[in-house]
Formats: sequence, C-alpha cells, structure tokens
Amino acid sequence: MGSPRMTLQTQLVLRALLEDPAKQRYGLELCELAGLPSGTIYPILARLEQVGWVDSTWEDPAVHEEAGRPRRRFYQITQDGAERARDALARAYQARKQPLPGWAARPASDGGVS
Amino acid sequence: MNDRRRLAPRQDTRPCPTSSLSGLLAVVRTHHPDADLSPLQHAYNEAAIWHAGQTRHSGDPFITHCVAVAAIVADIGMPPAVVCAALLHDIEDTPCPPGRITERFGQTTVDLISAVRTTRLDEIPPSALKLGNAPKPLQPTREEAVLAIRLADRLHNMRTITFVPPTRQHRVARETLELVTPLAKAAGLTDVGRELHDLSSAVLRPATSTLAMTPPLLTVLTLLLPATQRARWREEWHAELRTLTTRGARTRFTARILLSAPRLTLTLRHPIRGRRW
Repeated sequence: MGSPRMTLQTQLVLRALLEDPAKQRYGLELCELAGLPSGTIYPILARLEQVGWVDSTWEDPAVHEEAGRPRRRFYQITQDGAERARDALARAYQARKQPLPGWAARPASDGGVS
Repeated sequence: MNDRRRLAPRQDTRPCPTSSLSGLLAVVRTHHPDADLSPLQHAYNEAAIWHAGQTRHSGDPFITHCVAVAAIVADIGMPPAVVCAALLHDIEDTPCPPGRITERFGQTTVDLISAVRTTRLDEIPPSALKLGNAPKPLQPTREEAVLAIRLADRLHNMRTITFVPPTRQHRVARETLELVTPLAKAAGLTDVGRELHDLSSAVLRPATSTLAMTPPLLTVLTLLLPATQRARWREEWHAELRTLTTRGARTRFTARILLSAPRLTLTLRHPIRGRRW
C-alpha cells in the first residue's frame, strides 16, 4: 500500500482527522475543520481510504432517522493511518523547514524548532 | 411519494372510497351485497360529529382519515361490523361520552375499538391470520379484525406521511418496514404489504428511491465515476446537500464537486500501487 502525496490540502485533511482520531466525521464537517472547499475534500478522502489510512461507514440508521435526514458517510482515521499520518506530517513539516535551494534559511524567530 | 401506487383509487381521478361515504358503501356492497348498511351511515354521522373541527397534519378534516381507513378495511373484504369499528377507531380521542358508542353500536363494536387501540402488533401471532385467501364473505376472528383496522390505519398514515414532521416520518417508516409490512404479508394481504413496503422505503432511503430529489447535476456527475462507486457518492453528496440550508451554499457545494469530479474520477480509477500520485 502506497502513501498519498502530502500536498498542503492533504495535510490539512489529516490534521482535521487527527484532531480527535476516535471521532467519526462527515465530509462537510471535515471541510470546515480543514478550511477546504467540498470539492477538494472528497478526492483526498477517497485516496486516503484507498491507501487504508481512513475508513468510511454509513451513519447508524437510528441516528439519521431520528434527525430526519438521509444517512451520512462518516470518515475516521485508522490506527495504522494515524501513526503513518503523524509521521508523514512531521516529515512534511521538517521539509518545509529546509530552505529551498538558493533561498536563505528562515530566521529562527519564525516559528523556531520545537 | 404521492405518486406511488395505491390500493384504493386516487382522490383526483374519480369519487372514491377514500373521500366519500357513498364510495365506502359501494365497496362494502361489492363484498356483502345483502348486508344492512345503515349502521355504517350512523357510524359515519357519529364520527363526523365528534371529529368535527379536528384536522390532520395535511389540513384535511379528520373524518377523511376515518373514511379512508374504513374504505381500506372494506376493500380487504371485512364485514360491515368491522368497517363500522374502523370508522369509529379514533373516537376515543374525542369528547364523545364512552357509553354513547356502546348504546348505539353495541358492546362488540366498543370491545373491538378498544382492542384496536390496545393490541400490540408484535404480539399478534402471524400464524393466526389468514386474510388474503380466506373464503368470501370473510368471517374474521377478533385478531384478524384488529389487524385489518390497524393495517388500514397505518396504510393511510403512510400515504399521507409527507405532512408529518421528518423526525416522526422516519420513526413511523422504520416501524412500518420492520414490523407492520411483514405482518401484512404474513396475513396474506400482499397488496397492502407491498404498498406499505414501498411507502416506508421511500421515506427511509430518499437518496436511492427518489432519485429525482438529488439535483440532476450531481446525478450526471456521478456518471463519470466508476459504476460500482456511483451510488455511494451520490448518496453521500445528497445527504450533505440536504443539510445545507441556503440555496447559495448548495450551489457552491455542487459547483465545487463539479470542478473536482475529474480528480475524484482519476483517484478512484487509478489506485496507487506503492508509488506516489
């Protein structure tokens, strides 16, 4: 199983999912958490699901029937996915710390190394 | 949902049992040509008096429900005494003094009405019921009569469920599908069972059973996706769209999905195998 390309948007989605890894989130909720439009979220979620980082299930009938709306699709980060995502996010973060060739390194005051 | 098939004719096509007493009497007469129909006339008058001023969620006078339920009961082939009880099945929700019905319609009718109100459907043994292919004219047992009225009551409620608040719609539909529909089928009332099934499924699975409710654009969009995945994404997006309250938000949602559809299609059609995408 491969890894998704860690674009900025993918990182945002992963961060949103990792905020509370035990919680199931639906698409629009993730849009808000990640601050991304709906169109961006779904391809990313589909990819994350393909590589096994994310699981998706339909909402429990009792809940959506009580609320009187169609069932939602819920996404949750898998245990393996959470580990690999944290790892990938950390690497992406480090990569951003590296100056691009020909560019000066960021001053230490800009975020610093924690 | 209103366009689904019905057991009794639709109100707008011709005068029919669901809307008028004369229609109801005609149905009873087809099954019981020699019966005395005057108790039905009295039961109708009684129901009309006591339900006067009450309305359904649809805004219709409540008496329309009594007549509709009685018509379904009559259509099953139940004898006039049971049709009578069907007309009066909600009379206990009115200020009608309890003794009045006993006096006018007898203890049997009153007992039947109480049984209709108190019997739990999940306590009726399905093996005890043979309504569908019983010899006519029907001589139903008490349990069969109770079931006929309860089924008719539910069927008419399901036909008019659009007017009920959504939360309740789902609860009623779920119960109808899981409990009432199997009973109707077990009792041999195939048409009633099928209509109950169709009506409740339509409430429970709006995305798949009433495709028309999904904006056509979203449906067309899903055609780009692999065939096996279309239903899932259509249903998922439909559910999200339904929670958006403003037209603008819905348009933006759809537009964004539209713009990203090629991307999603690529993602779904070309899974990565150990390489980056």
